[in-house]
Amino acid sequence: MSRRISSLGTTAALLLVLIVTACARPATPATGSQPAPVTQAGPIRIGASISLTGQYARTGRELLNGYQFWMEQANAKGGVLNRQVQFVTYDDESDPETAAKLYEKLISEDKVDVIIGPYSTAVTLAASTVTEKHRYPMIVSGASGTDIWARGYKYVFGTYTMAPFYMDGAIDIAKKNGYRTVALINENGAFSKDVVAAAEKKAKEAGLDVIYTEEYTKDVRDLTPTLTKIRAANADVLIAGTYGDDATLIVRQLKDLNWTPKLVALTIGPALPDFTEALGTDAEYVFGATQWEPNIKAPGVSEFATAYNAKFGHMPGYHAAGGYGSAQLLQQGLEKVGSVDNQKLRDALASMNTTTAFGAFKVDDTGSQTAKPSYLIQILGGERKLVWPDAAAESAASIPMPGWNQRS
Amino acid sequence: MEISTLVQLLIGGLLLGAVYALAAAGLNLIFGVMRVVNFAHGDLMMLGAYVAFWLYTLAGLNPLVSLLATVPLLFLLGWGLQRWLVDRVVGQPPLMSLILLWGVSLVIINAALFLWTSNSRSVPAFSGGIELGGLSISRSRGIAFVAAIAITGAVWLFLQRSRWGKAIRATAQSSEMALVCGIDVARVRHITFGLAAAMAGAAGNLIVFIFAVSPVVGPTFMLKSFAIIVIGGLGSFQGALVGALVVGVIESFSAYVLNSQVSEAIVYFALILFLLARPNGLLGARL
Repeated sequence: MSRRISSLGTTAALLLVLIVTACARPATPATGSQPAPVTQAGPIRIGASISLTGQYARTGRELLNGYQFWMEQANAKGGVLNRQVQFVTYDDESDPETAAKLYEKLISEDKVDVIIGPYSTAVTLAASTVTEKHRYPMIVSGASGTDIWARGYKYVFGTYTMAPFYMDGAIDIAKKNGYRTVALINENGAFSKDVVAAAEKKAKEAGLDVIYTEEYTKDVRDLTPTLTKIRAANADVLIAGTYGDDATLIVRQLKDLNWTPKLVALTIGPALPDFTEALGTDAEYVFGATQWEPNIKAPGVSEFATAYNAKFGHMPGYHAAGGYGSAQLLQQGLEKVGSVDNQKLRDALASMNTTTAFGAFKVDDTGSQTAKPSYLIQILGGERKLVWPDAAAESAASIPMPGWNQRS
Repeated sequence: MEISTLVQLLIGGLLLGAVYALAAAGLNLIFGVMRVVNFAHGDLMMLGAYVAFWLYTLAGLNPLVSLLATVPLLFLLGWGLQRWLVDRVVGQPPLMSLILLWGVSLVIINAALFLWTSNSRSVPAFSGGIELGGLSISRSRGIAFVAAIAITGAVWLFLQRSRWGKAIRATAQSSEMALVCGIDVARVRHITFGLAAAMAGAAGNLIVFIFAVSPVVGPTFMLKSFAIIVIGGLGSFQGALVGALVVGVIESFSAYVLNSQVSEAIVYFALILFLLARPNGLLGARL
C-alpha cells in the first residue's frame, strides 16, 4: 500500500512526521537518553514595556514594530550568539509608574536575559530607575529628554538625538533669512519642555527675539486664544513643541485664523504620516524635526526602509527605526561581549563607537548620545523632504510660508 | 482687551461648546432616565468619529452626509447596549453600572486600537476661516456648531412633542408612575440609550473635521461631558446645553487671559465648586 502513496501523500506524511516530532520535542523530558545540546541554551529573552494604549500608543506601536522586525531578521540569520532572540513585552499604558513595575517584573519574575527601553521620556525616566537598580543596561530606544542622563546613572545609554538639538535647524534657517521674532509654545510633557527650553536659549544666542512663550496640556482642543495672541504679536517664526494631535490642531487653527508666520516648525507630528493625511494640502510648508528619515544617505538605511515597507506596506518613521537600530545596537553589544553578561554589555556600550540603521552611536560619560545630529524636514508636494542640515538635505527649504489664500 | 478679540474668544468658545453640548445632552438623557452615568459615552463619540473618517477615506463621503450613517448606526449600537447589557444594572447600586460601562469603554477602546491602530485620524474638510467684520471664524467649527445645535434642537423637540419623547420624560420623572400609566419603560430605556448614543456619535462625526482623534480620546471627552452636566444640572437636557456653552466660553477666555494649561483645569475646578455650592447645577434637575 505504501508504494501506491502519491507524491502528494508522501509530502503530507513527511510534514505530519515533522510536525509531530517538532511538537513532541519540548515535551520530551531530558532523561539522559539524549545528550543535552550545549549550544542550544534557548532563546535570548529581551524584556521591554511598550506603550500600546494611552497617550503614547501611536508611537509605542511603531517602536514595537521596529523591535519585532529586527527580531524576525535576526532570527532568520541564525539569531544572536547562535541563539534565537525573543521579546517579552507588556503594555505600560503610557504610564511611567506602570512601566517601572513592569521592568521590575521582567527582571525579577520573568528573569529576562537583557532589557531594552520603552517609549517616551517620562516612561523611560521611571523605568530606568528600576533597571539601574538591577544593573541592567538599558538602550534608550525612544526618548531624548535630558533629565534621563542628568541623574548620574551608569547603565542608561541614549540613541536618539537629544531634545535640545531638535530645533537647531529651524533656528538656523530663521537666522540665515533674517527673521527677527520667535514665538515658542509647547505641550507640557517633559520632552516638549526640554525641546522648547533649549530652543529658547539657542534662539536668543542666535540674536532672535523671543516674544511669546506658552505651555498647554496634551488634551488641548482649542488653541485659538494662544494663536490669537501670537498673531497680535506678529511673530516671524512659530516653534512648537508638539506631541501629535496638537500639531494638527495648530496648523488647522492657523488656517482658521487666516494667518501664517513666515516659518512654522513643530517637533513631533509632521514626521508622522498621519499629519499629511489629517491636514491634506494644509500640511504644506510646515517644518518638522525628525530623528531619522528613510531617505538619509547612510549605511543600512535604505535596506531597512525597503524591507520594512515590503512588510508593513508603509515606509518606517523614525520611531520604528529607533526601535530597529536600538535592537541592532544591542546585538552589536552582545556580539562584542560574546556572551549574555549585563555588566560586560554595559562596559561595551559605554565605549562603543558604531553605526546602526538609525545612525551613529557614541555616548559621553553620562551615557548621553553625542554622535547623532538633528534633522529638519519640510512637507513639500505632500512629501517629507529633508531640508536641514545642508549636507544631508535633499531639497532647499521653501520659505517664507505662503499665506493661505496665496496657495493654488 | 480689544473688542474684536473679545468677540473672537466668545465665538470660539460657543462654537466648541455646542459640540460639547451635543455629547453632554446625551449623557444627561441617560442619567435622567436611568440614573446611570454612561462611562462609555466618550467612546461612542470616538466610534462616531471613526464612522465619518472611514466613510470619507473609503468612499470620499462629505462628513456632514456621513451623519446619515453615523446616527442610525450608533442608535442601534446604543439600543443594543441597553437591551443586552445596561438593562441588567438599572436600579442597582451606582457602582454596578459604573463598572459595567467602564468595561464597555475598555472593550471599545481596545477593539478600536486593534482594528484601526492608534494612528490619529482626521478628515481635512471645511478648513479655513470665514472673514466676518475683521474677525476670522473657523469654517469647520462654524459648521459643526450649526449641525450640533440643529441636532440638539431636534432631539429637544422630539422630547417635548412626540409620544415617545413624552414617555421618556415621564420615565425620567418617575419610572414607577410611568409604568403604572402603561408606558413600556423597558422600551423607553432602549430608545433613550439609542438616542443618546446617536447624539454622541453625531458629536464624534462633527469633531473629526475639527481635530484629530484616535481610539483613546474617549475618556477625556467623557470627563469633560460629565463636568458639563454637573455644572449645567444633572438630568437636565437644557442644562447640558447651557453648561456646555458656558464651559466653552470659560475655557476660551481663561486660555487667553491666563493660559491654556489653566483653562483645561478650570472646568474641573468649576465642577468641584458646583458640587459644593450648587449640586443641582445651573438648571436643576428637570428634563
